[in-house]
Amino acid sequence: MPESIPAPLIIDTLKDTFREARASLAAEGARPRHDHLGWILSVPDTHQKSVLAALDKERTLRVLTCSTEDEANAIAAGLWMGGEPFALMIQHAGLYASVNTLRGVAMDGRVPIFYMIGLLQREKDKEPRESRHSMVRYCEPLLDLFGVPHARLEGPDDVRFIPEYYRLAQKRRGPAAVLVGLETA
Amino acid sequence: MAMKPEEALRAIAAARGDALCVPTMTTAPAWRTLAPDDQSVGCVGFMGGASSLGLGLALARPDRRVLVFDGDGSLLMQLGSLATVAGAAPRNLVHFLFKNGVYHTSGAQEIPGGGGVDFVQMAKGAGYRAAYAITDVAELQRRLPSLLREEGPILVELHTGLADKTPMTDRGGVPFAEQVERLRGRLIAS
Repeated sequence: MPESIPAPLIIDTLKDTFREARASLAAEGARPRHDHLGWILSVPDTHQKSVLAALDKERTLRVLTCSTEDEANAIAAGLWMGGEPFALMIQHAGLYASVNTLRGVAMDGRVPIFYMIGLLQREKDKEPRESRHSMVRYCEPLLDLFGVPHARLEGPDDVRFIPEYYRLAQKRRGPAAVLVGLETA
Repeated sequence: MAMKPEEALRAIAAARGDALCVPTMTTAPAWRTLAPDDQSVGCVGFMGGASSLGLGLALARPDRRVLVFDGDGSLLMQLGSLATVAGAAPRNLVHFLFKNGVYHTSGAQEIPGGGGVDFVQMAKGAGYRAAYAITDVAELQRRLPSLLREEGPILVELHTGLADKTPMTDRGGVPFAEQVERLRGRLIAS
């Protein structure tokens, strides 16, 4: 059975992921221009609200709340060009709302966007593809349709997928996603 | 008489210095000719995203001025970006809005609200530090030096006619992915 993941574990993993990203950028020749480790581009997701609440107290991660996921994707492209690490924290409904920007920016633009997508209303005892909620059911098939690699965070051990899929996005110069299976703790 | 967008872009090109520029839709073909450099990236294929693209650049590189060449129809597609830009408050962002009242690229259909939509008031209401309307190129030329030094984010609504070319009548240009790669290379190295 899936388990909720504590917010501090997710935040610490993101910090480590961004530290690694900054080291890669430095190896590319990028000069450090900011004190923080990276950016969280958020369109607030109920499923990840404990993470968002904990991020309010963080000084090493900059949170930018966006009006829409379309904006978050485009902002990500600007940050990428400017040599800044980032992650998008959104909800499955926001993924559906922004598929054209996912296509235009992350895929056609070859911008390595790493998404954390909350599966709000996912039933604990069901595979998402068998959910009675269409917004849960269609998320993974949509990502498959667009060829976006994805993994599901189903418990604390799965936070390893955060750096893994972040690196994968960088390597393939395109989108990669982790899906947050249960509401974070 | 409304200014020609090409005249406005020519004035901006002359005054921009090393500013990074983000053209979109009907400003893109003219900008390619006026500024064929690698300090620009066009918002292509995700209409409405120019100000957000510029915001990301401005946040990543606070040492560089970022100029967005938006359209009125484009901005309406992601109007919430005004609040996002204002909330992020990048001091180095100038948001030029080329206001012609129509969706020129798709055949010049009138935008919702037509020419009466007041983007200056919208930007001020969203929290931009300042917003201005400019109706002729002489005034733009006169004010550009101070506009490009002013603390952002600011919006400059330019009352223009139609451009000579649109992305549909002039399909040239470097693909978006190549523009991204090229500008990133420049920015990482500088």
